[in-house]
Order: sequence, then C-alpha cells, then structure tokens
Amino acid sequence: MPAVVKGWRLLLTPTLSRHLGLALVAFILLLLLSSQIGAYDDYTLAAVAIFVIATAGLNLLTGVNGQLSLGHGALMAVGAYSTSLLLRGHDLPLILVLLLSLAGASLVGAVFGVAAARLRGPYLAGATLALAVGLPQIATRYSHVFGGEEGLTVPPPAAPSWLGADFPPERWMAWIAIAVALVTLVLLGNLLQSSVGRSFKAVRDHEAAAALAGINVARTQVVAFVVSSACAGLAGSLFAYWSGLTAPAGFGVALSLQLISAIVIGGLGSLSGAVWGSIVLVFVPNFTSGMASSLNLPSSVGNNLPLLIYGAVLVVAMLVVPYGIDGGLRRLLALARARWAGAATNHKGVVDWDDPAGS
Amino acid sequence: MQRFVVLTLNGLTEGSIYAAMALALVMIWRATRVVNFAQGAMAMFTTYLALFSLERGAPYWLAFVIALLCGFVLGAVVERVLVRPVESAPPLNVVILTLGLLLVLEALAPMLFGGQIRSFPSAFSIVGIRLGSLQVPFSSFDLFTLVSVLVLMALLLLLFQRTDLGLRMRAAAFNAEVSRLLGIRVGRMLTLGWALASLVGALAGLLIAPSLLLYPTYMDQVLVFGFTGAILGGLDSPPGAVIGGLSMGFALSYVGGYFGSDLETVGALVILIAVLMVRPRGLLAWRAQRVV
Amino acid sequence: MLEIVDLTVAYGPVVALERVSFRVAEGSVMAVLGANGAGKTTLVRTISGLVRPRSGSIRFDQKEISRLAPEAIARLGIGHVPEGRGVLAELTVEENLRLGGLWRTDRADRGTALSEAYELFRPLAERRHLPAFTLSGGERQMLSIARALSARPRVLLLDEPSLGLASLVLIQIMARIKQLVQQRQLTVVLIEQNARSALSVADDAVVLSLGRVVAHDQARRLASEEGLRHAYLGF
Ligand SMILES: Nc1ncnc2c1ncn2[C@@H]1O[C@H](COP(=O)(O)OP(=O)(O)O)[C@@H](O)[C@H]1O
Ligand SMILES: [Mg+2]
Repeated sequence: MPAVVKGWRLLLTPTLSRHLGLALVAFILLLLLSSQIGAYDDYTLAAVAIFVIATAGLNLLTGVNGQLSLGHGALMAVGAYSTSLLLRGHDLPLILVLLLSLAGASLVGAVFGVAAARLRGPYLAGATLALAVGLPQIATRYSHVFGGEEGLTVPPPAAPSWLGADFPPERWMAWIAIAVALVTLVLLGNLLQSSVGRSFKAVRDHEAAAALAGINVARTQVVAFVVSSACAGLAGSLFAYWSGLTAPAGFGVALSLQLISAIVIGGLGSLSGAVWGSIVLVFVPNFTSGMASSLNLPSSVGNNLPLLIYGAVLVVAMLVVPYGIDGGLRRLLALARARWAGAATNHKGVVDWDDPAGS
Repeated sequence: MQRFVVLTLNGLTEGSIYAAMALALVMIWRATRVVNFAQGAMAMFTTYLALFSLERGAPYWLAFVIALLCGFVLGAVVERVLVRPVESAPPLNVVILTLGLLLVLEALAPMLFGGQIRSFPSAFSIVGIRLGSLQVPFSSFDLFTLVSVLVLMALLLLLFQRTDLGLRMRAAAFNAEVSRLLGIRVGRMLTLGWALASLVGALAGLLIAPSLLLYPTYMDQVLVFGFTGAILGGLDSPPGAVIGGLSMGFALSYVGGYFGSDLETVGALVILIAVLMVRPRGLLAWRAQRVV
Repeated sequence: MLEIVDLTVAYGPVVALERVSFRVAEGSVMAVLGANGAGKTTLVRTISGLVRPRSGSIRFDQKEISRLAPEAIARLGIGHVPEGRGVLAELTVEENLRLGGLWRTDRADRGTALSEAYELFRPLAERRHLPAFTLSGGERQMLSIARALSARPRVLLLDEPSLGLASLVLIQIMARIKQLVQQRQLTVVLIEQNARSALSVADDAVVLSLGRVVAHDQARRLASEEGLRHAYLGF
C-alpha cells in the first residue's frame, strides 16, 4: 500500500507539531480530570475514548471518503476477539496486543474493502449490514475457539507498580484509552491534511473527476477501508480490556448502528464530530437510565425509556441539526464571528463543513 | 430427497415474506431514495395493534384489516411528518432518522402492550396438510401466506401498470421535477407510495408473527433478510425484490437445513457478497441502467 | 397574457436574474436569447415555479403566480419543455404522452389530445409501446413537446429545443409550433442560443446578459441591429 507509506512520511509536517501540542494539552487535562472523578466515571470516560477511536475511523470512511458502513461493529469484534484469543493463556504486553488486534482487523478490513470498492450507496450499506449480522454468528458456531454465547474473558490491564498498589484499575484503563484515542486522533488528523486525505475527499465528491485527476479510485477506497478497520480493531481491542468479556451479544447490529448514528449526530467528516458523537453515544443512555430508575416508573416503561429517548434524540437531531453537533457549532461560530465583525455581509455564514481538523 | 422437499417448501413460505418486506423497501426506495430501516419495526407495531384488537374481542379478520390500515396510515404519517423535512439534508440523515424511529417504536411497543413474548394466532391450521395418508410439510397457513402475498403483489402490479394513479406514482418516483411540470402532485404520490409500502410491510409482519412469536424486535431479522433480498435483486426493481426475497428464503432454508441454523446469517452474507461481486447493483440491474 | 415585472432570482449569493421585466402577448412567440449562463433557463424555471424568485412578480392572465407550486402552475395551462427534454426514459412513449394531460378532468378530450399528438409527430406513433429510452434525440424532443401540448396549454415554455437536433428536424418542429400559435392562439416563450433561427420564428425577443435584459424589441428589428447582433447574438 504505497499510499499508506506516503501517508506516514507526510506525518512529519508542521501541522503535526500543532496537533501534537493540542493532544498533549488534552492528555494532561484529561488525566487531571480522571484523577478527580470516581471509579465509575473513569470507566465511563474510558468508554468515550474507546468510541472516539472507532467513530473517528468510521467518520474517515463514511464522512470523508463517502463509503457508508453499517458493519463497523463487526470489525470491532475482530479486534476484540483477537485480543481475547491472544490473551488466552498468555500474558503479552498491552502494546503488542493492541497492534496485533489492529493488524487482524486491518486484514479483515482489507479483504472486505476490496469487495466493497465496487459497491455504492445502499448496496454497500446492505453488504456491510450483512457483515454485522453474519460475523458474530461465526463466534457462536465455532464455540470451541471463540467461547460461544458465553464468550471469552479478558484480564484487565494491570497498572504499573510505580503508581501505587491501590491505584484504581478503572483509572488506568481510562488513561490507556485516552492515550490511544489521542494518538489515533493526531495520526488521523495528519492523514486527513495530507494528499491521501485530499484524495479521500476527492473520491467522495466526484469519482469521475478524481479518476481524471490521476487518483486510483478503487485503491483509495480500499486504503480508507483499511485505515478505518484498523481504528475499529484498536477500539475493539480496548473494548475487550474494558469490558473484561468478549461475547457475540456485545457486537450485534446495534453496535454498528450506534457507531454510524454517533458520527451523523456528532458531525459527518470531521474528527471533532466523532468526539461529539461518542460523548452523546455514551452519556445519553447513561443519563436516561439514571433518570428512568429515579422516576419510579412501572418496569415495562422504565426499562424502555432510555431506548425511547435515544431513538427520539436521533429523530429530533436529524430534523433540528442536520449537520450534526459539529456543524451546528461551526454555524453558530460563523454567525457570531460575522456579527462581531460588524456583519458587513448579510448572508448566512458560509461554513466549510468538511474541514477535518476543525481549524 | 424428502429433506430437500421440506426445506424447499419452508423456503418458499419464508421467502414470500422476505419478498414482501423487500418489495416494501424497494417501493420506498424508488419513491424517495430512502432505505427505510424502520420498516420492520413499523410492521411489528401494527401487528401488536392487531393483537390488541384481538384481545378486545375483535374477530381475526377485522384485526387483520385493522393492522393493514394502520400500516397504511403509519407509512403516510412517517413520510409526511418525518421524512419530508429531511428531503434536502445529506442522504445519511434520513438513514439515521429511520434508525431512530426503529428504536422509538421498539421501545414504545413494550410500554404500550407489555414486554413479554406473546403468541399470535393464525387464521388457519399450522399443521401440515394431509393428502390421503401422506402428511405434506406445508400447512393451510403456509398456503394462506403464499396466496395473500401473491394477491397483494398482483394488486400492486395492476395499480402501477394499469391505472392513471399508478402511472402518476411511477412518474413521481422516477423524476419528481418533470412530474411537477406535468401537473402531478408529487408530494401526495410519495406519501401514497410510503403508505402502500408500509401496508405491504404490515402484511409481512402479520404473516410471520405466528411462527416467530411476537416481541418488540421480532421483525429485525425479517428486515435484514428483506433488505438483503432487495439488494440481491436490485433496489430499483420490484420484480428483483420478489426474486431476491424468494432467493433469500430458499438459501436460508437450505443453509439452515444442511449446515445448521446458526450459519444462516453467515450464509446470507456469503451469498450477498458473491452476487454483488458479479453484479454490484443486484441481479436485475439492467433495468436500472438508464439511458438518459 | 404573461407579464414579468422586476423579477430578481438568486441562488444563494449568485444573482442569476436582476430586475427582469417584459410582457408576452397572447398568440405570439417570444424569443429569449443570450449566451450560456445568461439566466435563460432560470427565467423559465422561475415562471413554472421550480425556482422561487427573490422579488418581483409573474402574472398570468392578471393573476400572480410567482408563489404557486409548479404543479398548480402547470394546471393553469403553462406547459414547460425543460432543458434536456425531461423524457421519463423508463416509461413507454404512450405513458409519457398520457402523463401530459393526466390532471385534466375532461377524459374524452385526453384521448383526442393523444391522437392529435401522434398525428402531429408521426414517428412517435410507431414507437408508442416502446420504452422512451429507445428514442433518438430528435424523437425525444418531439415526445417532450407533444407531452406538453397534450395538456392543451395556453403558454408553452421551450428551453433550447434545438440542442442536439438536426436542423431539418428542428425546422419541422418549429413549423408545427408556429401552426399551433396561429390556429389556437398558443403563446410561446422560446429559449435559444442560436439567435438567428429563433428570431426567424419569433414575433418579439428579449436579450439577456448576465441576468439583465439588455434588449427587448420586435424580432425583426433586433435581427437588423448590427451592434447588438455582434455584441450579444454572435452572428
Ligand atoms: N442550481 C443552481 N445553483 C447555483 N447557481 C446556478 C444554478 N442554476 C444556474 N445557476 C447559475 O445561474 C446563472 C444562470 O444560469 P442559467 O439560467 O442556467 O443560464 P442559461 O440557461 O442562460 O445558460 C449561471 O451563472 C449559473 O451558474
Ligand atoms: Mg440554459
């Protein structure tokens, strides 16, 4: 994959230092935050970070490259099962497990991406949806390998001893997830600003024009699929550590659909959109289940209230903020700026929705 | 051999239901370029309404008709109230909107009708028909399923091919702008298209309920297999939907019968990918390749 | 009959028409001329309601129509043959033709209009049960015009009917239209890039440039104005 190699070389650009600086500041702030909150909140924070990795990769594929995937949950499953299998009976270093899981998911993504490169719109949606439905069943079928419905257990990552014996494992998990998420965001941010990122967008905007400009459309699409699957695999691997259990039920169609809804709600085509989407994805159900249980409702109502609200949030968000949270914020910002600058022009602020770095 | 016959008959019955679901999806796709992921949930909801009517003492056929009518109305309302406003938004938005609707309906059903799994009565015997001393693995209800799907499809074919209304609906779906220039009230046609499609979906929900039992997510699988069937046949082609849906029925039945039911969905995945590799826009794609 | 007053149309920040005014008399042919991007298509699309004007008014028989929906405007008797013809390729020739007057309540006359269309454009009759994508470019143009005429419109908007047509076919089509103008008092707004042939059939003409009317006169007189011809009409 020469394009990827070229992408790596392009990472050494001036924007890299800016992104790195931002990421470092974010890392320190998040570590401080994490040390101030309880174990349960650390656990939630880790979940957000894990979903950020998956949704950022998906947003690169769907938002930036224009390939709709309804099956990214299955690619997360590949990462999670890789991790669980690697850790069965072995004690491998975390970083190695993460990289191997990433490689496993990239491989599956490459194979599927080659098949997907010929498919467009709803046909791609259908194929990826079938992947989301089909893949978890392999785990049930070959239960001697994958542990069947009960799944495989995963030991939590052990905090290094210099942090002290009573360092909460949830906090360590959150730190790992945050670090990996930030590294992923920096790498993706640079990739998006490189010529590879531009070719992703060119293919999305106009395939024929991109081909005329000398871009290999099919290869670009496969590369996007591989990068995005790598992110999904990484997220899946962390997810396995985080939940301690890898079972087919955790990787059903619902997960894939949650991921896609997160990027649309957050904002298509931008990394900040992925972050917003992950926050919504984790906190809305958390908040609503808390609310439902405090309301003393009959169980048939209380049990389903979070789902009802989540669905309603999706519907209303699509009607009210069609460009997602990120798009809505940028529009507000542009309007505010126009007003502040004396509103010389009377037009609505023209915003580049697709600027990936949000700059 | 006997096994093969059993599986074929089973595939035919289930396939006809997937075909109905696929047809509903294709009708909506052609009218508004939307894949309605809430189609299954809408059918689930109307089937619950039928059960609700049955429990309040309505005769079976009345409940049946109530469900179909509610499906019709629900489809129209969803198009008019939810889908129309996002017409000009990015195309993924309406996908998320239908997913949201799916969640809302699947949460609402247990709130209104209770969360436990329910059985749904069937109009006819579900025991295999007896031919002399031979018991065929095909029940009266299977026959009813097949006939009612066929009748509904024939009626739709008549409507679309033989009536002015059908011609208007087809024109509105093919090219809304030109249709408006020809004085066609496109908005109404699209609403009607959604309404008819949901009626077809509601029928599928009623027909599969006795064998799957009734619970909020019972139509999810039917939707996925219907969608797979629609893709297999080509989303722009109603005959393709029927062929694709039936193929899904047969394929799942054979895969389940010969390789084990836990491989059904993997089988569906493999078949779908294999077909799409050869024909990326479905089996009947030639119709969709318009010469403009 | 058709009166356009101070019409301004914009696509976001791009102003496509600016304070355009003119009037078309009943039973006459008005040519709208101008280079690519002058705003001709925008003009007719605004008349038939596909594009909303920013300001100004469009009156048909003294009635303000600029806020009506396209389907309502069509039902008032304004037929539009769009740029690129707008033939519904998946439908048969006959289905396309039937669509034209489907909104009319006079069922008997719908049949008459259909047979008139076949008489007017004979090649269509032979292909009536074939899908429209089998037609040639000229036949499609005929179909599009015949479809608009089968609604018995009082105004016909023609957007570049000559595009991609052999000149012989074009002459035939224009002759038929001219006939209808004389026999039935049909009013025609004809958009053309080929100014010379348009001026030969038109009674009056407006010339658009960058969204503004730069000339408006009898067709005969415009054709003889050297300066204008060189500057805007290219012949
Ligand atoms: N849908 C549209 N969106 C934005 N700009 C448009 C659109 N349609 C036309 N324009 C612009 O409006 C101007 C007039 O276009 P048009 O009416 O098509 O001209 P003509 O038919 O005379 O060639 C052009 O500058 C064109 O770029
Ligand atoms: Mg034009």
